[in-house]
Amino acid sequence: MTPLLEVEDLATGYGQTQVLRGVSFSVRPGEVACIMGRNGAGKTTLLRALMGVLPMTGAVRLSGTDISRWPGHRIHATGMVWVPQEDSVFPGLTVRDHLAIALKDRIDEDEGLAAAGELFPVLGQRLGQEAQTLSGGERKMLALAQALIVKPQVVLMDEPTEGVAPVVVQELIPTIAASTQGAGVVLVEQNIDTALALGETAYLIEQGSVVISGTVRDLHDRGIFEQRLAL
Amino acid sequence: MILGFLPVDSFNVIVLAAVFVLVATGLHFTFGMLNVVNLVHGELILIGAYTTLQMQRTTGNVLLGMALAPLVAAAIGVAMERGVLRFLYDRPLDSLLATFGLSVIIRQVVQFIFSPNPQIVRSPIGGSFLLAGFNIPWWRLIIVLVTGGLIIGVIGFLGRSRFGLHARGTVANPRLAETMGINSGFVRAGLFALGSAIAGLAGAMLAPISTLNPQFGLLFLVNSFLVVIIGGKGSLRGLVVAGIVLGGTLAALQFVMSTVLAQILILAIAIIGVRLRPLLGLLRESNRDPGSIATYSDPIYPQNS
Repeated sequence: MTPLLEVEDLATGYGQTQVLRGVSFSVRPGEVACIMGRNGAGKTTLLRALMGVLPMTGAVRLSGTDISRWPGHRIHATGMVWVPQEDSVFPGLTVRDHLAIALKDRIDEDEGLAAAGELFPVLGQRLGQEAQTLSGGERKMLALAQALIVKPQVVLMDEPTEGVAPVVVQELIPTIAASTQGAGVVLVEQNIDTALALGETAYLIEQGSVVISGTVRDLHDRGIFEQRLAL
Repeated sequence: MILGFLPVDSFNVIVLAAVFVLVATGLHFTFGMLNVVNLVHGELILIGAYTTLQMQRTTGNVLLGMALAPLVAAAIGVAMERGVLRFLYDRPLDSLLATFGLSVIIRQVVQFIFSPNPQIVRSPIGGSFLLAGFNIPWWRLIIVLVTGGLIIGVIGFLGRSRFGLHARGTVANPRLAETMGINSGFVRAGLFALGSAIAGLAGAMLAPISTLNPQFGLLFLVNSFLVVIIGGKGSLRGLVVAGIVLGGTLAALQFVMSTVLAQILILAIAIIGVRLRPLLGLLRESNRDPGSIATYSDPIYPQNS
């Protein structure tokens, strides 16, 4: 099957500091590729580069089109969306505003808001509330809803369950799994349980490069995560 | 002494308050929202005024000039933003220097084309009328009404339009906005165009009530910054309150002292206002205020990484 997303020999960093070099992987439709690594390995940096936030060298192809020099808004319009790890709400804007920004002209606004409410009912009840007043878990839900309601081709998720109460994680995982069916997913994750629940393939990053790849289950069964992630 | 003047000249207090709000509204976009210390704001006002003068000379139609003035100022504003300032959003000192340089260039070009001599733009609607014993010049009344309409329009546009929503997102966090599908470059250029157009409109509206020369824009620059800063940078509601307080106070003070002394007192009031604002909380930046900006720490692209 032709890959949806192909990353070839990617190198990036901050200013003079190179963080990643020679990173290559691909994601097929319906595949969830987990990017694993210790803190500071460059997992988040990889997603920033893929989303056009950081300058990079190498090639990134989305459905065969080279998007490696594209600005973020154009990448988003082409169908690759990002759920950042960090707080990603705009001060002063309501939940409805955030969803409207994500929707743009792609889907009717009422339809999009209804879809967000179906994914996460709490958001549907709080459309008029300022997003910065939501709880941490609700903000994660908002970030996920913004990404998922546009029916993306590829979703980049940066530790979507980090800092979320275990009971909420139990809700999030099936929702993520159901709403990303058919899409390619790049999942940055340190939580093995989440990786096992959602992931199919795994790429382990150490010192800025992919050092081991395989299926999540196989790497887990061989104890690779325990050894390399110091779990 | 004051009581003797007030009934006759109180309309001038309203006019000067409106002028302060009018000249500062354009700066709300470029400085208040985009964070560019825009020293070329005065020259955008100047461009509006001289566009009106040029149309008066060539067609005899001042109103046509006033209609063209915002367009010319917006075109020049966008050219500056796309050509120079867009590279300097993360470098405030460099953008300050760049806008200072651009202001000098524009002033010299205007002086070269139109000469440094004073010029007169005639009022498109002359005369006055009596209202409850007050002598109200038509054109000054129109300036007050246009300023009110402009503020209502800007609040509505930023608060209700899709561009306004994208602008508020971009201003709050441009990199995050970009990754959520907002073309932040287009939004910034649009905001700069709007700010420039409003500055051009202000110059066109104010040209008939003063003498025009290449220093015309400088008259308004400092007061525009005072209004935007005291109002709470990025807050339209604060801008209106600050414009009314400063403009009204200046007009009232001019009844009893020289303009220079009055301006010095206004500066003192401004400094006190900035110091007291956090205590009073009266002009607090509101997250609900369209166009209000909040200082943010950029989670997407940490500067120290």
